[in-house]
Amino acid sequence: MTTLLATIWKELLELRRDRAGILVLLVMPMALVLIVSLVQDNVMQATGETPIRVLLVDLDNGFLGRAVEKHLRLDGGLELIRRQGGREVSEEAARKAVVDGDFRFYILIAPGTGAALRKQVRRRAEESFVPTPKPAKPPPPATVPGLILHFDPAVQGAFRTAVLNALQRVLLGIELQEKGAALSETIERKMRQGIGGGIPIPPGGDAAKRTPPIRFELDTDPVLKLREATDPGGRSPRRPTAAQQNVPAWALFGMFFIVVPVSGALIRERQTGTFRRLMTMPVSLAGLLAGKVIAYLLVCMAQFVLMVAIGVFALPLLGASGLVVGPEWPAVGVIALSAALAATGYGIMVGVLARSYEQASVFGAVSIVIAAALGGVMIPVYVMPRSMQAVSVISPLAWGLDAFQDVFVREGSLRTVGSNLARLMLFSLATLSVAWWSLRRSRSGE
Amino acid sequence: MPSDGNDPTVPEPVRGDATDTGAVDEILKVHRLVKVYRGAETPAVDGIDFAVKRGEIFGLLGPNGAGKTTVLSVICTLLRPTSGSVTLCSQDTERSPTRIRSLFGLAPQEIALYPSLTARENLHYFGRLYGLSGRVLRRRTEDCLALVGLSDRGGTRIDTFSGGMKRRANLAAAILHSPRVLFLDEPTVGIDAQSRNLILENLKTLRDDGATIVYTTHYMEEAENICGRVAIMDRGKIVAEGTPRSLVAAMDGCVNLEESFLRLTGRHLRD
Repeated sequence: MTTLLATIWKELLELRRDRAGILVLLVMPMALVLIVSLVQDNVMQATGETPIRVLLVDLDNGFLGRAVEKHLRLDGGLELIRRQGGREVSEEAARKAVVDGDFRFYILIAPGTGAALRKQVRRRAEESFVPTPKPAKPPPPATVPGLILHFDPAVQGAFRTAVLNALQRVLLGIELQEKGAALSETIERKMRQGIGGGIPIPPGGDAAKRTPPIRFELDTDPVLKLREATDPGGRSPRRPTAAQQNVPAWALFGMFFIVVPVSGALIRERQTGTFRRLMTMPVSLAGLLAGKVIAYLLVCMAQFVLMVAIGVFALPLLGASGLVVGPEWPAVGVIALSAALAATGYGIMVGVLARSYEQASVFGAVSIVIAAALGGVMIPVYVMPRSMQAVSVISPLAWGLDAFQDVFVREGSLRTVGSNLARLMLFSLATLSVAWWSLRRSRSGE
Repeated sequence: MPSDGNDPTVPEPVRGDATDTGAVDEILKVHRLVKVYRGAETPAVDGIDFAVKRGEIFGLLGPNGAGKTTVLSVICTLLRPTSGSVTLCSQDTERSPTRIRSLFGLAPQEIALYPSLTARENLHYFGRLYGLSGRVLRRRTEDCLALVGLSDRGGTRIDTFSGGMKRRANLAAAILHSPRVLFLDEPTVGIDAQSRNLILENLKTLRDDGATIVYTTHYMEEAENICGRVAIMDRGKIVAEGTPRSLVAAMDGCVNLEESFLRLTGRHLRD
């Protein structure tokens, strides 16, 4: 019992002395809970309650657009954006916004859709009162242009379905409203025509028995249809599979976890005195750092190759869709290399700046989980609250994931992922520079 | 505040005989060295002077906190002096640190080896950093392992070694590149008598082969046994310097270096 209590006392005392360690132990999990909760805030509601922002391109410019907007506002599942910069959103602007990743969806209401809908609904209402005998061959139905929903191909299936369902619900409501109006108008007219035709209703007689028989057959096929387009950039459409979403996302997550062994190795070097020995040797700091970077880069790349191999070969064996790397595999390699460099640089910086193994391992691991949550590894960025979407741009995992999705799903190339590659490279350069500067200070005894 | 070396209140260090190192043979010269750590009120090293001759074993003795490790760190280019200078092999350590680093070897107080690597793998790694390669590297590795009595354990991981074996491997890593000066920071602390004896014998062998050795220790008997000259430090200053025998003789009633040391530095505890 004495040993137990003494040990508890000693451990608590040691922890209390390591203020930075306590800060890491307490603050980092708090930050994790906060950020993951914020990030996931919308997920449970993504099927309708919290608005997903959608651009509306209303080329019809009539009652239909206004009705769609009104119903969606009441429904609350989608937030329609009709105007940008004080002007109605054009089809070109909407297409560019989706290609640029500013929006994930846009709805296009083709010109004349509202008028065609009303015409078709009236015709159906008219045809619902089938004459006896029934005509042998009904006339062909008039076409309604309908609505087209454009997606970013990187949008995951669950959110695609959520948006489609929300819109279908609204369109069905509008159509029912129109059908109801058309039917009541037609019934009233038919009745009036019957009475105007001189049906004799004797006094005290039963009017209902003398009303001409009406056969009513309402066509229940939807008039207003929602079509789905998946080529906002004008490129051939490709549906993302689970592998295309998950393999790059979790491969990045795994690669960035290299921060734990990298920083741990640096801390151990300091603790065992090997760092002190190295600093008295006729070697350059850049050489020592480069050696570490290259070694861990190789580990990261091996890890990535294994993850891709699982996606390509193992997933299909288990009955799931496999990862299709496609012809842009050099771009995939360059993205992986840039991400590995960023991860290694970050690990070295953490290892140089941390004062203990506990600090490095807890801070390193938790910061990666936070960066992964912010970067869309767990939850897509577009379903996060607006404030978290703004913060997500600082996550290196977001840059890597966006670049991978660009190649895997949007058929991008090295050119289209250039900005994300530049961000990853600058991040590596910045972290390695901080590490080098700190080591240089320590070596020169400043 | 560090003293300027002319402070009349500071007692003159005890001088034994043979303190004239002979300027021509000086391989290491420390001149008015001062080191004040950032935020510290008193200097860790306060204007010390000493010189070490080529081929001698020079002991830097002192109680805890006397400034021995700080002096070694400044000489080994790990710390920048606040003032004063250090000349090693006629070169100023502050001006040409990179060139200086290839001239000396350091065995730090800690076991500065990679625990998960074998002794041979550690020596190969450090040897490569010193520019050795191929047959020369392999030969030097085996020679150093043989010198410290680890030839048959070269393929064993360091983390499975005993304390004495680790200390011996630590020494092997410091002499791998045949340095002209060897700095040892308490190389025999916490090990068994056999390993200590072997290390001390090795140091004598290295001295006989022409190496200059500067080492710090708490073991007075050890210093008395192998050091040609010693300097006793206390509170950042050198309070005595000379051959062990002369320092004993200079203090009335002292029969060994430990008694002289306690007389000079006091019997109160140092923390």
